[in-house]
Amino acid sequence: MRIVNPTYGIAPQGEGSATAGPVDWMNDPIVLFSNNKPNAKELLLGVRDRLSSIRRVDNVDYIAKGSASQPAPPEMLNEVVRKYRIALLALGD
Amino acid sequence: MSDSAETEYLDIPEMDHDGWADYVEAQGWTDGLPLVPPTEASVARMMDGARGDNEPFPAITPRLLIPTLRSLAANAVMAGCRPSYFPAVLAALRGVLVADYNLHGTLATTHSCAPMAMVNGPLRQELNINCGTNCFGQGWRANAAIGRALQLILLNIGGGKPAVMDRSTFGSPAKYTFCFGENEEESPFEPYHVRNGFRADESVVTVMSAEPNHNLNDHGSTTGLGLLTTFAGGIATPTANTISAKGPYFIVLGPEHAATLARDNWTVKKIQDFLYDKARVPLAWISKENQARYEEAGHFPENDAFRVAPTPDDIHVAVAGGPGKHSAWIPSFGGTAAISIRVKPPAA
Repeated sequence: MRIVNPTYGIAPQGEGSATAGPVDWMNDPIVLFSNNKPNAKELLLGVRDRLSSIRRVDNVDYIAKGSASQPAPPEMLNEVVRKYRIALLALGD
Repeated sequence: MSDSAETEYLDIPEMDHDGWADYVEAQGWTDGLPLVPPTEASVARMMDGARGDNEPFPAITPRLLIPTLRSLAANAVMAGCRPSYFPAVLAALRGVLVADYNLHGTLATTHSCAPMAMVNGPLRQELNINCGTNCFGQGWRANAAIGRALQLILLNIGGGKPAVMDRSTFGSPAKYTFCFGENEEESPFEPYHVRNGFRADESVVTVMSAEPNHNLNDHGSTTGLGLLTTFAGGIATPTANTISAKGPYFIVLGPEHAATLARDNWTVKKIQDFLYDKARVPLAWISKENQARYEEAGHFPENDAFRVAPTPDDIHVAVAGGPGKHSAWIPSFGGTAAISIRVKPPAA
């Protein structure tokens, strides 16, 4: 039997893949990126505290996207990409 | 889901009804109910229902693949659509792909939202879309299949697989299908789509990411003010996503309630203003911790209560259903919008 594939779709043109270079986990700036859900801030700042025992944290910053239900603004994401080499995300509830 | 998106046609073994039901279940293509096989011939007939519609679609999140008219038609076939339903399915899809609808957020959330689709205009009668008694319920092929087709597209092309990408804590029955028509014939108000800038002779699908309908029972009130007072109390709940006052909601008036409101000179604008002002959740109904969370998100109480709607314009008023002293409140996901899209009739 021949059927039309109901999952068929075409990948958009021009979607290039990003290439990340080597990361220095001891020194590179890190963003702690919150999805604004309850406890995301507490979790991420807890990670920051733990990191402080093994690396510098004066360049580890907390950022919240603003709304738990809506995407982060593109300008915020661009700024994150520009400033940081590593992102730790809080994604769940 | 079998990730076979690179192949537009699939050659599969001949199988009987039970074999086909098992096959689509194994592929992850179904909402749980049996599907109609999308054969080349049936899909071609479905596509003919939208002939002349060459407007491309954007990629559908989260798989971010651009659908073809053929793959969309395959899902409409599987859902049980007649070809004449297909333009309404495409309009609904275009609506949920508008950025303000926030499709990704509405698919990924733990909330129980589903894409509600309300149809206005002559297409309701042409397709026999139920606008009256039991309009949110079972028994009408167009209501069932149009909403189901939209869901299957979001599952199969979009990749919104339950319990994988769709993380809804409970889900809801509306995730099978949630499509109805406005009961324009029994409404004392201008049809919803006309109030929103469309011509009366155009057919329009309005989508919103919504909870299923919440009943607003009022058998006692004999005035418009009485009804609206009851409705405001029903809407003022601290447990719907509307408590964050971040998005729209629908009030779907039953025709009897609508007639009482119109008799007492309540216009749609006056209804919106009244509900915006009176539907408030008292602070005493909300824990201190939850109040703190609302305020962190920028939603502050006024005096001793939280408003439910961001603005009066976020309260969408329509008329549907049949006889009975009931209306319906349809809260949204919150971070979404009500989007209206004109249905493109097939080219002659």
